[in-house]
Amino acid sequence: MAIISRKNKRQDVALSTGALLRAYEKMFLIRVAEEKIAALYLKNKIMSFVHFYIGQEAVAVGVADSIGLKDKMLGNHRSHGHYLAKGGDLKRMVCELLGKEGGLAKGKGGSMHMVDRSVNFVGSTPILGSVVPLSCGVAFEQKYNKRKSVTVAFLGDGAFEEGVIYETINLAGLFKLPLLIVVENNLYSVNSPLKDRRAEGHNVAKIVRGFGAKYIKADGKNYRDVRVKAGKMVAYLRKGNGPGVLECFTHRHMAHSAPIFDESSRKEDVLEKRLQQDSIKRLRSELRRAGVSEKKLASIESEKIRYADESIAFAFAAPYPKPETLYTNVFAR
Amino acid sequence: MSERILKYTDAVREATDQLLEKDSSVFVVGLGVSYKDGAADGTTSGLAMKYPKRVLDVPVSENAFTGMAVGAAFSGLRPIVHHGRVEFSLLAMDPILTQAAKWNYMFGGGNPVPITLRIAVGRQWGNGPQHTQSLYGLFGGTPGLKVVIPSTPRMAKGLLISAVRDNNPVIILESRWLYKVKQDVPAEMWEEPLDKAKVLKKGADITVVAYGDGLVSALEAYDLVGKSAGIELIDVVSINPVDNETIAKSVAKTGRLLCVDTAPAAFSIGSEIIAAVAKVMPLKNKPVALCTPAVPCPTSTALTESYYPTKVDIANAVLRAMKKPDIKHVLTFEELHLAPSITLS
Repeated sequence: MAIISRKNKRQDVALSTGALLRAYEKMFLIRVAEEKIAALYLKNKIMSFVHFYIGQEAVAVGVADSIGLKDKMLGNHRSHGHYLAKGGDLKRMVCELLGKEGGLAKGKGGSMHMVDRSVNFVGSTPILGSVVPLSCGVAFEQKYNKRKSVTVAFLGDGAFEEGVIYETINLAGLFKLPLLIVVENNLYSVNSPLKDRRAEGHNVAKIVRGFGAKYIKADGKNYRDVRVKAGKMVAYLRKGNGPGVLECFTHRHMAHSAPIFDESSRKEDVLEKRLQQDSIKRLRSELRRAGVSEKKLASIESEKIRYADESIAFAFAAPYPKPETLYTNVFAR
Repeated sequence: MSERILKYTDAVREATDQLLEKDSSVFVVGLGVSYKDGAADGTTSGLAMKYPKRVLDVPVSENAFTGMAVGAAFSGLRPIVHHGRVEFSLLAMDPILTQAAKWNYMFGGGNPVPITLRIAVGRQWGNGPQHTQSLYGLFGGTPGLKVVIPSTPRMAKGLLISAVRDNNPVIILESRWLYKVKQDVPAEMWEEPLDKAKVLKKGADITVVAYGDGLVSALEAYDLVGKSAGIELIDVVSINPVDNETIAKSVAKTGRLLCVDTAPAAFSIGSEIIAAVAKVMPLKNKPVALCTPAVPCPTSTALTESYYPTKVDIANAVLRAMKKPDIKHVLTFEELHLAPSITLS
């Protein structure tokens, strides 16, 4: 567990090298697993609609490292990273992508429906802003039953344009619910840049603060920055102050819902810039500067690659659900 | 046992009160539910004082508070959400149709959503095109929802108790037209099945199937027809699923079918039932569907006069199916336009 100094108000201190190394391991696994999944997707080996998280890993891991097992998390269509960061099981995740019986949702959900109650990953739903009122309800239960835990909802900058978000920030503020809304602003909604979607003078910070909620902006390409600011936000939530919005500016390295895309649609985050600012590359350099050997990092990386390969092989070998399960689970008992 | 004659809304209120008292995971949200007069319809009056943190007025944000209730439900609470008019619930269709209805299935089970939504539908004088829709098909045609229509005060109480205790999303479509109807309602808590139609009257000649406001009109038509025809009257109760078995069993006996809809015919409950019955047996008559015209419900009483099927329309449809002469009965202004306050047996 990383430690943030309470005394020192500077934000970039007191994350131990060990903590950074553990974060690197998680981020690297998410990256390498998705790269392998992308390769399979291009060969039509995965018949589940996939939205890749590659490029945004620092956000999921930075936020997940700021909360505990009892805290709850919900995600969206792009939630492989969120789920794995929360401590999820890669084997069961790939099983779900392949529609296997042993998948997280027994093959009924697919890539857009990550769920695993054992790690308090409550669910992910791809109707963008929907996750926010649902998460508000999860936070409502936490307050109703006087729990100390918080709820985190992940969504993108496109989703943040849906009206229900504003309704919910007000509602969560009214009831002072421990709801952390993490906006991953990757600058695009599918291929539409922010400038085509937002009025001149549009200001997320002012909108959120206008509801009396807390707003913090973070560099979503920088693990340390996300981790520190998410930590501050979670501490604020635990005091019962009401909801907060953490907006993390990041880059999505792939297309909205496919591995490859037309680079000409990217204006600001061109390939060179994306690679240069890549969170994993930056964290790796930081670890090297902190004295972690190249050999140590290479050994972690090859272990994660091996584990991703093993998980994918496991999922391919796993059985499909029986046809009659089409009819099960419409209702709970 | 002395009779306890309660209004429909008081039966709902009593069930809500008992549910709140028995189970601390039950809470109520909706616009104005904490008012002294209980969301303007009396169904929650006084409850906020008794359960101050569990009967919650909310911002006019239907999508957000309904979504919040869905999230609270899959976290283990048992919310009762009140939408005073179905039109306002349309602002919350994502949490209802796409989230609550799919949640357990799309995660492969183990993720129950024990939420109850009370949604008021249908006719009321002076309310016009945007305050009187019913939209039964919207809810009835979505797998993953249980959908019931309580047509009497007793059913209003028993179905609400079952709905809240069920581990799945249950939509209760309450006909606002029936809010003043009275009946003897038992004081204790009991559960009505959420998926069974109810045979209210036994008869050998014709099966009449109705629900909500149409059911009360059909009960009045039963009295108008008297001994001229043996009506077997069935309360649909559940529209997701429709209990076609009970209905088909009755039609197998009578050979004739009449469905009363208080909505337009297209994609209606009546068309659904006629289709289901026609698939399994021949009929002595052409099945009859009484329904509203395929236009929005207007406001002027001069126009609404001919909008909804009346007890006379139902009685005469029965008599025609039996090849008997129509009855003559001129409806009064009150009968046509004011909600009934009759006491049912």
